[in-house]
Amino acid sequence: MKTKSLLKYGLVAMAALMMVACDNSSGGTNSDASSSSASSSNTNTATKKFKIGVSIPAADHGWTAGVKYWADEEAKKHPEIDFDIQTADSPDKQISQLEAMATKKIDALVILATESAPVTPAAKKLKDQGIFIVNVDRGFTDASIADIFLAGDNKKFGTMSAEFMADKLKGKGNILVLEGIPCTVNTDRVDAAKAVFAKYPGIKILASQSGMWNQQKAYDVMQTMLTANKQVDAIWAQDDDMALGAERALKQAGRDKGVWMLGGAGMKDIVKRVKDNDPMFPADVTYPPSMIADGIKAAVETLESKSKDELKNFKHEDREIKIDLVTPANASDFYFENSVY
Amino acid sequence: MKKFIQQYGALIALIVLIIFNTIWQGHDFYAAENIRNILAQNSAKGMIAIGMTLVIIAGGIDLSVGSMVGLLSVLILLGLNKWNSMPAAYGIAIFGGILIGFFNGLLVSLGRIAPFVATLAGLGAFRSLAMAITNAGQVTTTNPNFENIANGGFPLPGLHTVSGDPLVIYWPILVFFGLGAIAAFILNRSVFGRRLIATGANEQASEYSGIKTNSVKLASYSLLGLMTGIAALCLTARYNSASSATQGLYYELDAIAAVVIGGTSLSGGRGRIGTTVIGVLILGLVDNMLTTKGIDSNWQGCVKGVIILLAVLLQRNSSRK
Repeated sequence: MKTKSLLKYGLVAMAALMMVACDNSSGGTNSDASSSSASSSNTNTATKKFKIGVSIPAADHGWTAGVKYWADEEAKKHPEIDFDIQTADSPDKQISQLEAMATKKIDALVILATESAPVTPAAKKLKDQGIFIVNVDRGFTDASIADIFLAGDNKKFGTMSAEFMADKLKGKGNILVLEGIPCTVNTDRVDAAKAVFAKYPGIKILASQSGMWNQQKAYDVMQTMLTANKQVDAIWAQDDDMALGAERALKQAGRDKGVWMLGGAGMKDIVKRVKDNDPMFPADVTYPPSMIADGIKAAVETLESKSKDELKNFKHEDREIKIDLVTPANASDFYFENSVY
Repeated sequence: MKKFIQQYGALIALIVLIIFNTIWQGHDFYAAENIRNILAQNSAKGMIAIGMTLVIIAGGIDLSVGSMVGLLSVLILLGLNKWNSMPAAYGIAIFGGILIGFFNGLLVSLGRIAPFVATLAGLGAFRSLAMAITNAGQVTTTNPNFENIANGGFPLPGLHTVSGDPLVIYWPILVFFGLGAIAAFILNRSVFGRRLIATGANEQASEYSGIKTNSVKLASYSLLGLMTGIAALCLTARYNSASSATQGLYYELDAIAAVVIGGTSLSGGRGRIGTTVIGVLILGLVDNMLTTKGIDSNWQGCVKGVIILLAVLLQRNSSRK
């Protein structure tokens, strides 16, 4: 059949076109920090001193996009190292990527887990091979696996933001709560915040629903929550992307007067509005995606300064990632104009 | 009685849900603004479900529509930002939608690939394209006119929102019902509609009786593509942004669920548009009810699953072996 072979050639041509497109695709929203700057295996590794694997969650919302950006930025600063940066959209995928890295003979692994529990055994296998492991933000269920653990304290994030909210409300008011993607990060934040609110009998959580850390989903959910709750004083939105979606829903319903909210993570646009004394955003809580860059830095420094024996006997270190409350007074310190997030 | 339930099962379920919600939620539920919001939140999904009904009646299925929404949403905004013209956004939505639908149709008809498999490829590929183009990020627009596509409309006299503004019926809601009416007309009153049903019922017999079944399939997928394009336009305007990873995510499943709840058979050859519209409204109502009542979102999928099963069991045709 003629048509059949036509179709086949058509598909082949399309595939070829796609290859070309992939080569040329530059980020639509982000700057030209696209395509992993990490040199892959086709470079001459003989000139490279070390091989470092970086495993991070796929960029499915603003914060994770920030993580990818900072990982690429940091990798550019170390031309002497061969980086293998991989993103995973599920624990499953991350595990198979870790297993693949183990066969590539990496010297160190920097990992921000999609989910702590399922990736722990895979990380342990790499550790047993003698690979140096830097664990960022979400800790393994067995802390001893990591050589260095950069802890992002999600419980503190929840406590700090809820305390600010309770203070500003003077212990009295109706609030709505937005939750994120169901995982340990979200649970830690929400439970810690609710524990704070529970201490104030005057604060009523009218409703608590998931916006999946996603601007569009948060808009839909907030729109529905607003019709069911006539009197809302403040919104604990947890995440700056969700805060933007919630704000859109407020405006759409004509109810953006007299309501304020707290997001989180320190998105550039939100920090700017805190700086400009926007009544909608009196403060923000940081949770910097640049923590991955700190993790990569720690791995590079350790590899370059320690002998093989010292690495083997490296004593486990915990380092804390600072979480700050951004207020109009200090917002300039947290505003980075060139950041993607 | 049994026959009656089979015939009007979806409608009865909708009415029961409405009565239940009116009692359970009271004014929160039947407040004009809430009803308007339910329709606005589900109109894009609804348009896709209408197109999906036509494809399923013709014996096909399309799993790629959710990813198609993601890809088209991203392209619409990139085009809008590049040329700063609204017609560009409309053009990308309509022609892009038809083109991708036509491509799916080609695979299924001339390519003779099973619909499930051909569109499964699209499900992965279109989403990945959207993410590759945008570096997995979000696209936004500063064009002030764009969001009027979704947030413009005409005010209903005498009705007000909670904050006291006149209640506006948004354009996408009208487009949803309009497309429903057009699709119903095509299906029940046109030669093409009869060919669609014949192709789905028995492809071989239709081919022998002179129906060009390949063209029929191509047309049905192209129509679904067109409706998906319009849906992507409305959705993107509603959010005034597009997230390449999540825009339209799982819409193919919601659309198929609405079709099934409406009593259309997945084996093709019979089905109705009106009941699909009712199916969309049922799913939208359930979402709204669970959210306003503060039911943990982790349970919502469970409730949806039960409703789909109930709908299918109620409408099962006892005469079929």
